[in-house]
Amino acid sequence: MTEGSSFLALTDVTKTYGGVNALKSVCFEARRGSIHAILGENGAGKSTLMKVLAGVTQPDSGAIRLQGDNVTFANPADAAAKGIVCIFQELSIIPDLSVAENICLTQPPKTAFGLIDRKAQDRLAARVLKQMGCGEGIDTRSRCADLPLSKRQIVEIAKAIVQKPDVLILDEATSALTASDVGPVMDLLRRMRDDGACILFISHRMHEIEALADTCSVFRNGEHVSTFASGAKTHDEIVQLMIGKPISQVYPDKPAEVPVAPPYLDIHDLRWGDQLKGVSLSLRPGEIVGLGGLDGQGQQEVLLAIAGVLRGTTGTVRINGRPAVHRGPKGGKGSDMRIALIPEDRKTQGLFLSLSVRDNLTVSMLDRLSRYAVVDRPGEKALVGRMIDLLKIKTDNADVAVGTLSGGNQQKVVLAKWLATDPKLLLLMDPTRGIDVGTKQEIYRLLRRLAGDGLAILFHSTDYDELIGLCDRALIMYDGRVASTLSGPSLNEHNILSSALNLSHDNSGRETAAPTAALAEGLA
Amino acid sequence: MRAVSFVTSFDGPTKAIAVAMLLLLAVGGAYYHQFLSPMYLMQQLQNGAFLGIVAAGAMMVILLGHIDLSVPWTITASATLATALVGTSPEALVSERGLVAGLGAGLLIGLINGLGVAYLRIPSMIWTLVTNNIILGVCVFYSGFYALRSQPSPVMSALGAGQLFGIPCAVLVWFAVSAAIVFLLRRSRTGRYIYAVGTHEPAAYLSGIDTRKVIVFAFVVAGLCSAIAGMLLTGYAGQSYQRMGDPYLLPGIAAVVLGGSSLFGGRGSYSGTVAGVLLITLISSMLSIMQAPEAAKQICYGVVIILMVGLYSRAAPAN
Repeated sequence: MTEGSSFLALTDVTKTYGGVNALKSVCFEARRGSIHAILGENGAGKSTLMKVLAGVTQPDSGAIRLQGDNVTFANPADAAAKGIVCIFQELSIIPDLSVAENICLTQPPKTAFGLIDRKAQDRLAARVLKQMGCGEGIDTRSRCADLPLSKRQIVEIAKAIVQKPDVLILDEATSALTASDVGPVMDLLRRMRDDGACILFISHRMHEIEALADTCSVFRNGEHVSTFASGAKTHDEIVQLMIGKPISQVYPDKPAEVPVAPPYLDIHDLRWGDQLKGVSLSLRPGEIVGLGGLDGQGQQEVLLAIAGVLRGTTGTVRINGRPAVHRGPKGGKGSDMRIALIPEDRKTQGLFLSLSVRDNLTVSMLDRLSRYAVVDRPGEKALVGRMIDLLKIKTDNADVAVGTLSGGNQQKVVLAKWLATDPKLLLLMDPTRGIDVGTKQEIYRLLRRLAGDGLAILFHSTDYDELIGLCDRALIMYDGRVASTLSGPSLNEHNILSSALNLSHDNSGRETAAPTAALAEGLA
Repeated sequence: MRAVSFVTSFDGPTKAIAVAMLLLLAVGGAYYHQFLSPMYLMQQLQNGAFLGIVAAGAMMVILLGHIDLSVPWTITASATLATALVGTSPEALVSERGLVAGLGAGLLIGLINGLGVAYLRIPSMIWTLVTNNIILGVCVFYSGFYALRSQPSPVMSALGAGQLFGIPCAVLVWFAVSAAIVFLLRRSRTGRYIYAVGTHEPAAYLSGIDTRKVIVFAFVVAGLCSAIAGMLLTGYAGQSYQRMGDPYLLPGIAAVVLGGSSLFGGRGSYSGTVAGVLLITLISSMLSIMQAPEAAKQICYGVVIILMVGLYSRAAPAN
């Protein structure tokens, strides 16, 4: 590894929010021509560090030096002018603008009259996407709102790349990418490194960090704990540094016996527009079944259809042996169905960020918690206490706004809010995205325990590790159909990937392979 | 001790308004002695009661992030209908059928507003503006050919202009409406749902709330509040008349916003709304005493809304 000079250096940087020390006298250096991974649990201070570097917030004390000069950033535009660009965890693209307009948002190419040169803008956007190696299938003129999440994430990255930053910060920017897009993006980051860029990379996906980073820095509770060359420590040692104590095993043991109870959920030939093209599956109480595949193959739609959110589906959905005719989550939580849907985006779909932890925990339960439409406050208080204990939610009290909790604790609140309704069927949409290892482990154990108590769990995940580690069976979807069902030894990364790309006719026999046209599209 | 905790239990905007009112009274009192007399203050409460009841309804809708622009003609139409149907018979049931019809008209208009916003998904700003104009048209058309009776019924007169133990009955009605709203917002399931839907409707839907029912309910409450105000105003003025609801739209919204409710929904306390009503009533009364023209009042309300919206959206946590 070549020794670069320290290009970016932080000295004694402290940042306090309310009474919480988000950063405690952090000293940190990063070199040119390196990819520097920042690791830590949620709440370790990684995101605050990035915000300080990108000019989103100003540190309370301490100094930032860029190429040896002391610098301060008034706002993100100021930081960008000095060469530091950040891709945040939350998407910052504007949904109603086109791909090209978003990519060129900060510095659109102009015509001689000072107006935006749309043709040059389209060309520039197309060039950047091509340079990234994952521009296929993205029309630079299409509206960003019409793109799936993974493609929007690519636009987000392109928007940063086009500014040709000296320091590029990625905060969980790969968490929404599909497996096939992660590779090209990683190649691009390596090329930028070789051209002398300084890349700071936050991710919870350990294999990405191992594949990409030269240097790793671990943060814990707002402090910089350790920096070491990538590969110098084992996976377990890194996790230990992150959580400050040794961990035993991330995934709980799977039960040896297959549940034999009749299926709680039975779907036959479920269709919905172009998104679902005949999905059949069944789920028994006690089972955890995964739904995997590339992004946007219909996994979300299956869960939304079961929850009654989609209108105009055909095919049969049987709950507990009876055909399910219900409208929306309100009908689904009724005593005859007992369905709970944990939505994909906790910040906009799962929670009311400005309302209290209490209000969030009980909102789905109020109809059972009230008499003559008046809320039974003692009953409510008891329920809130029980749920905070059950999920070990870290909060000062139940009256604080749920938005002030860390990401992992927010996700626990979403889970708790639905577990409070005592469901029989739990539908989870990527519940561990952007959550730290410790919390993930807690959630896995909880889910396994609930399954042991007879809950049927259908689990959509973009993380292959999770499908393999947690699920009894995994259904891999491709183009609106279940491409294969994997369980036991055949539930491994190779089979998941080949089914996701629809490369093989697998051992499930449940569904025939997709038409050749779709196959060619998958390979293109 | 209790009094202290009572005071500290109010939120920031409520306290800020209380301070502003005390200042206003002190300054006003220095120029006009009658400003601090119990008579004058009671008169302010009487004036404030009509606005207070309108603002209570407006707040329900604003908490959802919606707005009800049909206030002026909901007031006027319910009052017009009520007085037109007032019976001449000494039988109370017959003579008060106008009051019942007036309140019913408010409920019906609120229901139409709510159904349009919740089920047809038309933005409330457009839908309620449209219903306001349609009601206006209906009223003018309907009353244009006949000389309608415009006298209030005995109960309307008693509630609007009467007093009980020295307290204007309108103020007592305002208290009763306020108590109902506070109970609704703080203790009832529907109150929680209103805040949830106002914070983020998709999340409320996914939480298993029937968001459309909540929206319809809030608009119905708003319509009813406007109708109650219409009945009281008729009683107070001794007649119903065209444009009687006009002075209540902007001040009603101003009072809610002044009290700290977010126009984007999900945030706001009823104590703030009450304080906002009192402050606006006081400002308007002072402008009257200073013999400022009506135009100056309107400018004043507009400036207050712009200032407060700017101030509160700045103070909101950057999330």
